[in-house]
Amino acid sequence: MTTPSNIDLSFDRNAALIGMRQTIPLVIPGVPFGFVLGLIVQEEGLPKLAGWSSSWLIFAGSSQLAALNLLADGASAAVIIVSVFLINSRHAMYSAAMRDRFAPLPLWFRLVGPYFLIDQSFAVAETSPDLVDPTPRFRMWHFLGAGAAVWSMWQISVAAGVLIGNVVREEWALNFAVPILFLGLMVFSIKNKPGAVAAVVGAVVALVGRELPQGSGLLLAIILGMAAGGIAEAQLSRRSS
Amino acid sequence: MRIWLIIAGAGIVTYLTRASFIVLGDRVTLPPIAERSLSYVAPAAFAAISVPLILGGDGFAGFNEDVPRILAATAAGAVVWKTRNIPLSLLAGMCTLWSLTWLL
Repeated sequence: MTTPSNIDLSFDRNAALIGMRQTIPLVIPGVPFGFVLGLIVQEEGLPKLAGWSSSWLIFAGSSQLAALNLLADGASAAVIIVSVFLINSRHAMYSAAMRDRFAPLPLWFRLVGPYFLIDQSFAVAETSPDLVDPTPRFRMWHFLGAGAAVWSMWQISVAAGVLIGNVVREEWALNFAVPILFLGLMVFSIKNKPGAVAAVVGAVVALVGRELPQGSGLLLAIILGMAAGGIAEAQLSRRSS
Repeated sequence: MRIWLIIAGAGIVTYLTRASFIVLGDRVTLPPIAERSLSYVAPAAFAAISVPLILGGDGFAGFNEDVPRILAATAAGAVVWKTRNIPLSLLAGMCTLWSLTWLL
């Protein structure tokens, strides 16, 4: 797809600040998670710099957790990379969901942007610009602002965990911040009945399939959940017409 | 060196996953039902991640561990539903979890 050269994409400070401001509340629960992740690097005796670097090389918490645990267990390279791929394969669906919205934007952005496409940035990018200002310029700088906020907070929290993570005690149950974060993102993302259907199906399949190897139960849950949402939407629109 | 290569490989695979549809653009077409379903990726994914973690991420751990988690998640869910404020729901959830763990 070609980008019309006449659209204005100059830096939009307001859009970037809105993106950051909307993302920071979603990043706060990620701070204890990053901290715990850094602690694992320290406890498992993994090389500190390499362990921390998973935060900018992979940049996805749950898959980093799996990769570091597998590295500590001495798993093979293939097992680790396939596991990370499966855990992060939901990002392909985020990519598909953002495709049309990003289509008018220049190629450099469509190459750089996906690096920042994680759960929190997807959650804000999928709704906010549509409501606030759906121009390509706003969308682009809003997304980059959101990405910068979540990226820098993540690097800092994992680094803090690697360096001083041993002040955290297990009975503080800081890991519980992760399900609370995703529960909140789920509440934000349910906007209609088909959305609720998608969430219920996703949750049930994920529960039933959680013994499936290396996160493939999660992938199945997302695919069936989104399909259920799409089917519910089709049924509802047929009934009302 | 091996660990760096593995992490970098995992990173490249992750980036390609995220870039896939955005970079390929309209060179890939999806069937209409799949296009329609894409509006529901977010609720399906976020529910599929959170619910198993709440109901005992590593298998059912037993009454004393599961019940505080479920009640804490209910409190957090109620707060985020009412206030749309994730840090506040984190506070509600963690305080509920800590007090119940201490009580039980």
